[in-house]
Amino acid sequence: MENGTPIPQNPEIGFVIGGGLEADLDVRLTVPPQEVQEGAFVVIDSNNWRFYGLVTDLRLAAIDEQYANQLNSQRFAPHLAEYLNKQTLFTNLAVMPVLMKDRGPDPASPGYWGWRLNNMDDPAPMPVKTIPDHHAPVKLAGKADIADIFGEEDNKTIFRVGSTREQGHPVCLNLDKFVQRSSGIFGTTGSGKSFLARMILAGLIHADHASTLIFDMHNEYGPDTSSSDTGQAVPGLKGKFGSKVQLVGLGSGAKFGKLIADIDLEISHRDIKVEDILQLAQILNLKETTATTLDKLENDFHENWFNAFMQMNVGGVIENEEGKTEPAPDSVAFWAHQAGIHPGAAEALRSKLGRLFNRPYLIDAPASDGLQAIIDTLQSGRHVVLSFGKNDSELDYLLVTNLITRKIRDAWEQSTENYHSGRNKAEPRPLVVVVEEAHKLLNREMASQTIFSTIAREMRKYYVTLLIIDQRPSQIYDEVMSQLGTRISGSLGDEDDINAVLSGLPGRGGLRGMLAKLQPKEEVLMLGWGVPMPIPIRSRRYDQQFWIDLLGEKSKPKSINDINKGLGMDDDSD
Amino acid sequence: MSETQKSIPIGKLLRAENSQFVAGCRVRELETPALGALVKVTLEDQSQIYGLITNILINDDSLVRQLVSGVSIPTEYTADNRYNRNLPVEIHVLTVGYAQNGQISHRLPPRPPLSLDELHLCDTKELCDFTSLNEQAYLRHILRLIDRPVEEILAAHLRQAKAAHDSVGDTGWYGQACQKLITLLRDDYLRLTTVLDVLTDLERE
Repeated sequence: MENGTPIPQNPEIGFVIGGGLEADLDVRLTVPPQEVQEGAFVVIDSNNWRFYGLVTDLRLAAIDEQYANQLNSQRFAPHLAEYLNKQTLFTNLAVMPVLMKDRGPDPASPGYWGWRLNNMDDPAPMPVKTIPDHHAPVKLAGKADIADIFGEEDNKTIFRVGSTREQGHPVCLNLDKFVQRSSGIFGTTGSGKSFLARMILAGLIHADHASTLIFDMHNEYGPDTSSSDTGQAVPGLKGKFGSKVQLVGLGSGAKFGKLIADIDLEISHRDIKVEDILQLAQILNLKETTATTLDKLENDFHENWFNAFMQMNVGGVIENEEGKTEPAPDSVAFWAHQAGIHPGAAEALRSKLGRLFNRPYLIDAPASDGLQAIIDTLQSGRHVVLSFGKNDSELDYLLVTNLITRKIRDAWEQSTENYHSGRNKAEPRPLVVVVEEAHKLLNREMASQTIFSTIAREMRKYYVTLLIIDQRPSQIYDEVMSQLGTRISGSLGDEDDINAVLSGLPGRGGLRGMLAKLQPKEEVLMLGWGVPMPIPIRSRRYDQQFWIDLLGEKSKPKSINDINKGLGMDDDSD
Repeated sequence: MSETQKSIPIGKLLRAENSQFVAGCRVRELETPALGALVKVTLEDQSQIYGLITNILINDDSLVRQLVSGVSIPTEYTADNRYNRNLPVEIHVLTVGYAQNGQISHRLPPRPPLSLDELHLCDTKELCDFTSLNEQAYLRHILRLIDRPVEEILAAHLRQAKAAHDSVGDTGWYGQACQKLITLLRDDYLRLTTVLDVLTDLERE
């Protein structure tokens, strides 16, 4: 304020007039309704307890409906109409109580020190189990209240993701808790979910408590890019974190603008298992008989089955001694006869797998073991951004993500077992697998086949969790959605998507309205197990200031003068 | 109102109870009291009882009835009946508070005034002092009137009180009084809107 008068941290906005735990609390608003928005975080003090809640609705009301049904300003003198409206027309808030905290008696009261002796540390907020008294004052939460619940930014694990919409108080996310269970970031195109994801990933990498593996389908996380909306440069994670982030390109010689991949990922034929193919049943239009044929191939050729099958030809025949044609020894039919498989089924499968045989990154004997390099990188505490480059078809995405994730599951299960059995003293490094366009891997049909639903459901105990980024959460299998600990959602237009984000959460009714009315850009709703209570926030901007706040001044781009000075070529020098 | 005027009684008490009393006056004295005016009765112990004039009643008698039924009434008969008749004009007063040892209260007095106690009009200062106290709590007494045009009495009283407060520079009093009335009457839509209609008419005059 210009005159220096401090703005009150948490002004009183009303008082409790009714309601309960099941239905929301009713609060009579004593300030104009425009000063409070749906989703506002409020605190209610009642005796020794402080209650924390969310505004889920605002309703106009009147002492008598007749006062509301006429224009008082037309019937009465202006000042009389003003007095009348002030006393007879009002707004009621519906407040969903979420948490409560024991504040103890008044510090000036005789009972305070007795209470303090039993509570040397301030009691932690707990889920609400009772309600405040009638007429308990209701205030907008102050900065300290929000810090009490969401933590105070520490530039490490307590990471600021945004601020409250009314007063701009910082709201933080506990990244340690965030990575303990699978999470999701949702929002329609243009809702800012990619920026939010970048920001949270930057926070995770900076906090350095977990490794991240990012399946970067659109090449937007690793290298610097530019915003599709504003055209401004958008820094990538590689540029900001250097060697902490390894860029992996699918196939040899992948490039990311001016950057060259740190690891070229070429996958050996021997790494492809039968289950990897079966997971592509839908996209390759495989028949039910496929599993039998593949099992037989694996049985006959072991690890080399993929290459062996690839080398077989379709339709090759030779003449036998009796002058009759029969399948050539290197043909599919020849092998099928020997293996007791229907030759037609085997040839059809060979033909369908042709789409895989010509993938340039599937090599019989690659120069290096890219898959192991990725796992080593992640286990050593660094982070991987896997870019699909030109190989960005759905088939590539499904095959490669499944294959890598299967390897990861094996590696992390092994590490965890070693840790629990005492063979390995170091606790396994937590890993977050970031999956974009997640509905392609986790839809109802695919979820049962892909490794990702297993990760979402079971891998938490093996230190691996998912971070799902998607614009159609309704397309993701319900069982996976219900496993998501933290959900951060931007604006969603579709009713089914809104319901999917809220699946398995209490108080859905109030949250649904909040989610439906988010601003299309920069507003998100955080909810779920990973946050103490649901809260709509204005998300932090992913800009230069973000990087300065996170990494300090060193992240600031240097001017030509600065660079010259650094090189000892100060333009002031003689 | 000057000290001289203040000392002139406008009537003497006929009958009284805690919540209201009635004073009588001669017809020729009727120019001073007005509907809604704040009046007071000073008791023997120098405490004062305040009230608002809620009705002024002119009773008939058999002579008036005879005169009214006659064909024509000579002017001197009319004048004689008005100025010399023994039947008093009745001034009905609603008790709205009292003062003891200089302390004004908007509650009902412990005891009513006695018959033949003198009734005086309050001057501007007394009116302002009494009506300023306690957020105009005395207005609640008016609302318990039955069979009286409450909105008209209120309007008449507020007009007089507003003029008094305005004359001493207290222009905010009227707004506060209106707000108090709304608070007291907001649960009775019909009554409140009627009162506000009357006040609106008054302000537009």
